[in-house]
Amino acid sequence: MTEKDHSSADDRALVRAAQQGDMRAFEELVARHRDKIYARAYSMMRNEEEAIDLSQEAWVKGWQRLKQFQGESSFSTWLTRIVINLCLDQLRKHKRQRTESIEAMNEETGGVERQMPVVTVNPTAGLERAELRRRIDQALGQLSYEHRTVLILHEFEEMEYKTIAKTMSCSIGTVMSRLFYARRKLAALLADLKRGTGDERAASGGE
Amino acid sequence: MMDYDRQLKLQAYLDGELSEAEAREMGNWLARDREAVALHTELRNTRQALTGFEVGIELPESREFFWSKIEREIERQAPPEPARHSWLAGWRRLLVPAGAIAALALAALVVTKSGSEGTPLEASLADPGAFTYRDDSARTTLVWLSYPAENELADSEPSSKVP
Amino acid sequence: MRLKLTSAAIPGWFGVALSLLLLAGGHAYAQASDLKLEVQLIWGTNDKQSPDPKHKPVAPEVLNKLKELPLKWASYFEVKRISFTVPKGGMTSVALSEKCKLDVRSLGKSKIEVTHFGKGQEVWKGTQALPKGETLVLGGNAPNATSWLVVLKRVE
Repeated sequence: MTEKDHSSADDRALVRAAQQGDMRAFEELVARHRDKIYARAYSMMRNEEEAIDLSQEAWVKGWQRLKQFQGESSFSTWLTRIVINLCLDQLRKHKRQRTESIEAMNEETGGVERQMPVVTVNPTAGLERAELRRRIDQALGQLSYEHRTVLILHEFEEMEYKTIAKTMSCSIGTVMSRLFYARRKLAALLADLKRGTGDERAASGGE
Repeated sequence: MMDYDRQLKLQAYLDGELSEAEAREMGNWLARDREAVALHTELRNTRQALTGFEVGIELPESREFFWSKIEREIERQAPPEPARHSWLAGWRRLLVPAGAIAALALAALVVTKSGSEGTPLEASLADPGAFTYRDDSARTTLVWLSYPAENELADSEPSSKVP
Repeated sequence: MRLKLTSAAIPGWFGVALSLLLLAGGHAYAQASDLKLEVQLIWGTNDKQSPDPKHKPVAPEVLNKLKELPLKWASYFEVKRISFTVPKGGMTSVALSEKCKLDVRSLGKSKIEVTHFGKGQEVWKGTQALPKGETLVLGGNAPNATSWLVVLKRVE
């Protein structure tokens, strides 16, 4: 396969070529999907350097395991799962290393989200895409890694509860509780951000 | 106020995780309970807010630089080439009259020494689609073959899972 | 006496060298003994259970070994396990399934030649030293995103 062929080939053809040892085909796959893999790593790790390292590691592992890829999913989905597992391993290491704060422990045992008042105003209404992303980014950063991970696996990876449970080695009930907490907390944080902006505008004389 | 289990069930309803019967029951409840409707709306808004969040996030390194690191690491972690090739090439080169005995003597030496522990795998009928992975610390060699061929996999009966 | 090599002399020298080779090989063979080996046919899958009740999960030490390899499956089930002996200098054929067969030939001093047959055809052949503690794993994809694995090791 020539370089020109690589850029015009579909993923399946590139994977087949790469499985036969064509590094240039694999390079093309990296070029096509590196942002998506990095984005997933960044969403989970919340740290640019770690996300770059882990996505790089995922690509290396992808090359090593390429012959096992049988097309049961798209290539990018397959590789995304590799980076998710690497991120989960890394996050578990972080968890072992840091001392749990009381707040984090409360999050784990639950209860807080059961009393949260329902957010009735859509906190994202009227926001520009970039501003919305910034606020979500900020809000995601305030979740614990368990809650953020469940949210990412469900909302971005579109995993079912039972698959998330298997990936995170927990029960389906735990997945449901964590997802519920994460969503409600995110809604509350976004609402706070929206209220904060509204207050600033009022103080400055409004628009 | 809704009990917690009911709230989780509402979430599961939103996520399509309920059975048909349970989803029908939840739908009926939603039609008459304002608190449930409010919570359902909040959960739905949050989900919509997250849609497409990762679109546009870019890896902050150039294509060439990022690839060069991956390529380097792949090469670093690649298993060593089997010794057979260099041995065979050397044997062929020495197949000239002056070197014939030296080559065969070398071959004799290799035969006597090749029973030593930890010698690498040498494939004499190689599967062009195969790759070899060696873990020295675990003393394990994995040879991943391309057998059965892809089309055979596609044609296989679901029940005949193991070749 | 310096040996003078000419093209006419080559056949003679080849004969001498060949004898040396055979002697050396014979010496190697003489050092070998019968090899006691164990082979397992394993099915890799992401399902929690095998549909075949006769399959049982692999032993923990085998599972640990497979987990150290770059394999992606969550569960591994033993389909068949056979202990066999390869006589020194000889060959033993082991049928792992209707479609999978291994010929293992002893080459002396722990070295073996393994020929893998799939559906009666030679699929792969390789040689490796297999002292105690060393494991050779052959594998490939199987239908429905599963895998087949053949794990071979010395047991004496």
